[in-house]
Amino acid sequence: MGILELINKRRVYFDGAMGTVLQSMGLKAGAYPELWNLTRPDDIVRVHCSYLEAGSDIITANTFGANPLRFENWQEVIEAGIGCARRAVGSRRDKFVAYDIGPCGRLLAPLGELEPEKAIELFAAGVRTAEQSGADLIIIETMNDSMETKAAVLAAKENCSLPVFVANVYDESGTLMTGADPQAMVAMLEGLGVNAIGVNCSLGPDKIAGVIGEYIKYSSLPVIAMPNAGLPEIKDGKSIFGMEAEEFAGSMEELACKGVSILGGCCGTTPEYIKKTVAHTASLPYSAPLRKQRTVISSYTHALEIGSEPVIIGERINPTGKKKLKEALRSGDTDYILGEAIAQGEAGAHALDVNVGLPEIDEPAVLEHCVRAIQAVSDLPLQLDTSDPAALARAMRIYNGKPLINSVNGKEQSMREVFPLVKKYGGVTVALTLDENGIPDSAEGRCLIAQRIIETARSYGIDKQDIIVDPLAMAVSSDSASAAVTLETVKMLHQAGIRTSLGVSNISFGLPQRDVINTVFYANALACGLDCAIMNPFSKGMMSVYYAFRALNGMDRAFADYIAFAQGNTFDSGSVSRASAAIAGANAESLKDAVIKGLKDAAIRITKEQLGSREPLDIINSDIIPALNAVGEAFESKRAFLPQLLMSADAASAAVETAKERMPAVSAESGKEVILATVRGDVHDIGKNIVKVLLESYGFAVHDLGKDVPPETVLECALNTGCRVVGLSALMTTTVPAMEETIRLLKSKIPGVITVVGGAVLNQEYADMIGADYYCRDAMDTVRLAQRIYGEDAL
Amino acid sequence: MIFNDVICRTAETGSIAPDKNEIAARLGVPRGYQNNAIDRCLEELQHSAVYKYAYARLPLRLQDGICDLDFVKVRSRDLYANLSKGAGCREIVVMAVTLGAGVDRLLARCATQGQSKHFIMDALSSAAAEVLCDYAQSCICASECCHPRYSPGYGDLSIELQAPLLERLNAGRLLGITLNGAFLMSPVKSVTAIIGLE
Repeated sequence: MGILELINKRRVYFDGAMGTVLQSMGLKAGAYPELWNLTRPDDIVRVHCSYLEAGSDIITANTFGANPLRFENWQEVIEAGIGCARRAVGSRRDKFVAYDIGPCGRLLAPLGELEPEKAIELFAAGVRTAEQSGADLIIIETMNDSMETKAAVLAAKENCSLPVFVANVYDESGTLMTGADPQAMVAMLEGLGVNAIGVNCSLGPDKIAGVIGEYIKYSSLPVIAMPNAGLPEIKDGKSIFGMEAEEFAGSMEELACKGVSILGGCCGTTPEYIKKTVAHTASLPYSAPLRKQRTVISSYTHALEIGSEPVIIGERINPTGKKKLKEALRSGDTDYILGEAIAQGEAGAHALDVNVGLPEIDEPAVLEHCVRAIQAVSDLPLQLDTSDPAALARAMRIYNGKPLINSVNGKEQSMREVFPLVKKYGGVTVALTLDENGIPDSAEGRCLIAQRIIETARSYGIDKQDIIVDPLAMAVSSDSASAAVTLETVKMLHQAGIRTSLGVSNISFGLPQRDVINTVFYANALACGLDCAIMNPFSKGMMSVYYAFRALNGMDRAFADYIAFAQGNTFDSGSVSRASAAIAGANAESLKDAVIKGLKDAAIRITKEQLGSREPLDIINSDIIPALNAVGEAFESKRAFLPQLLMSADAASAAVETAKERMPAVSAESGKEVILATVRGDVHDIGKNIVKVLLESYGFAVHDLGKDVPPETVLECALNTGCRVVGLSALMTTTVPAMEETIRLLKSKIPGVITVVGGAVLNQEYADMIGADYYCRDAMDTVRLAQRIYGEDAL
Repeated sequence: MIFNDVICRTAETGSIAPDKNEIAARLGVPRGYQNNAIDRCLEELQHSAVYKYAYARLPLRLQDGICDLDFVKVRSRDLYANLSKGAGCREIVVMAVTLGAGVDRLLARCATQGQSKHFIMDALSSAAAEVLCDYAQSCICASECCHPRYSPGYGDLSIELQAPLLERLNAGRLLGITLNGAFLMSPVKSVTAIIGLE
């Protein structure tokens, strides 16, 4: 009987700690236990045997940290580790060897620098070795980051056919170090198709009961609990896991009664702990976990259930009909997209649609880039919206969580392309009720297509609850019956227990005052049982409907949300930042005043008012720039300080942006360009960003390459844009060599390039030494220099 | 690795209030400078930050210009001078502190909301990390004769020491601290330090 059949029949036991036992055998603090696989294999076998005797069904090979980042001879260490465990098991068929994968020690992008693809490669190498060496299953454990967990799972699934178990580490707050809660981990890992999930290490069995309870509640998979022997206590300057074996086993019994299928131990536990745990729990009645029929998506922090309450999916990140977003996508201006993401979240969206489809861009690359960038700043689950399977595959691979997929439809080809990806990476798929014959005119016809899509999904191993049907809101202006048919379909699907989604705003296409139509249609759709609406969360009308619907249907206890909504005024401003509005607490009387005081919202408002009677360029040159100059001069003479200068620059930039919207497409002052980059290895970009905002507010076009930028990328940008002024920043002495390398490369390939350097560790002397043309001590200094370079000496 | 001599603690949020003067210095403003935006940022920071630290007390041997920190031998004139001042140190506390990954995300978010906010938040969180170091030190060895905290990257002490130091403290598991290729830490607002004890 294999391990998976065994779990269906009865409770299964892992072993306890390896390190704790090796330590009692003389392993020194700070030494690598994995090396004992090679130097003291007999001792390792002895530990495994003692766990087998204690009643463990699965023993964990001593390979936790054996990865290529830590050991040059990782392969040998893994082979020997699996070998020791196999020796301990001998010919017994009812005992199993788990290949142990711990964290690799680096943090994955976007939070860290390790590319997910690199991490997958790193784990994959070990997985292949382990399977060849005779492992029976993979245990991915002690992971405190959801993205790294996903990388390890993908490596395991793509490189072996062994069962995959996953245990994560939670702290007192009940989340992983990088933020995910249990429900989010359950959603993501079930989507990835692992075989058992749960918790290890963390705290003692009593203290992880809450987290385990969440797993039991939400997971359809067997749940693992391998806690520490209590919380560490300090005795004589040492940290000791104080819970005795008997007490530990008593707490484990409680977890078993709650429904945990797989029990074991972590730090501080020994064979005695496992023996007592087996004794306490082996005779308890056992039942395999039940399937939970829930429709759930997740981000890297939380899960979102679809079906209990209306879900708002922000529609704003979609270039259709949005000039600014198109421009942002073409020019690679991620900040604009991130601004939209954050603002929609603040306006009340629960998830965000991300569509970057433009004919002239590399959609797979751009979608991947945007999804990563959005996941660095917004914790909302995303709806990956693309018709390009290659783009979908890349985005799903790096998505940190379980995404919504928009969309599949009833065409054979569509299902053939989308469903294998969903099966592999996990996700909830929006299914459009159209097929090779188009969109049926009747609700029955649309339901039939929905039924066929759900059945096809099942043949790929995708559950019904992971399909949400979009019965298609079509422009009512071109077919007066379309709204009625769509609503009827929503009602029929709802009654059949099928989740629904609609791109609500489509209904009003071609009509004036679209928001009015959208709002009424949305209210009707909610009444028919609509689950998800892809809509504009800045629409006051639609948001009113949302809050009122919840209030009227008992979803809003004590009307708290409705009252907060009714009293709030979140819709007066679509602005991203509210912080600047509070600055100085003052009102601005003029645009100059607003810029000087750093009042961003006021600056935008007054600029809009002024645009009625003045030319944009006049506003920029007569008000915005002089105001900024006044603050800049005050800063240089130490009458104003950096926070003020930055607030003014933020306000000025916003005002210039507003004014520019009324200007012809040609950029305001073409030719004034600067490339900025924080050099390779350095992740401190505050200084560079300050320089950027000031340069922009003075009318320079800035090509911002971000942080940790390789020399080749800087060169490529200079060659592609023709821009000859390159600003480089570095905060750490260790990254100055990368700066020197960048300068050398630029100078060798582009005669006449002007390099400007700055950053905490630099001074004129240092700048000269590494061959930079100029050194700037601060952001204003850089602006003055750029003005001199472009021949508009302002001093 | 075995870490049973490493102690990990979480400070109550309330016990870590960034020092006003430290904040002023980091923002480049005079002491007593008032600004609503700063107070708002501070509130947001307190919401996102966790305050964790881990440390171990280790024996120290100083010989022939080499500091034997028990887990690694280091040749550094400046650290040697720090540890051998006064009566000389016999022991060290090796510690790491962090504000957690939530602050990295908060900073990334602020960066899209305008540079002023990003700059202020960055300065505040750096000040908070410093206060956390002070707090941790006061909990670990307040009553002892401590030499000034010394961190990898100060003076001639190589920043590469970060790797064995974090490994020794099991900082990946206990604090979620990892290094990039240039030996910079994630979460960004993390600090490691060596404190000599006489």
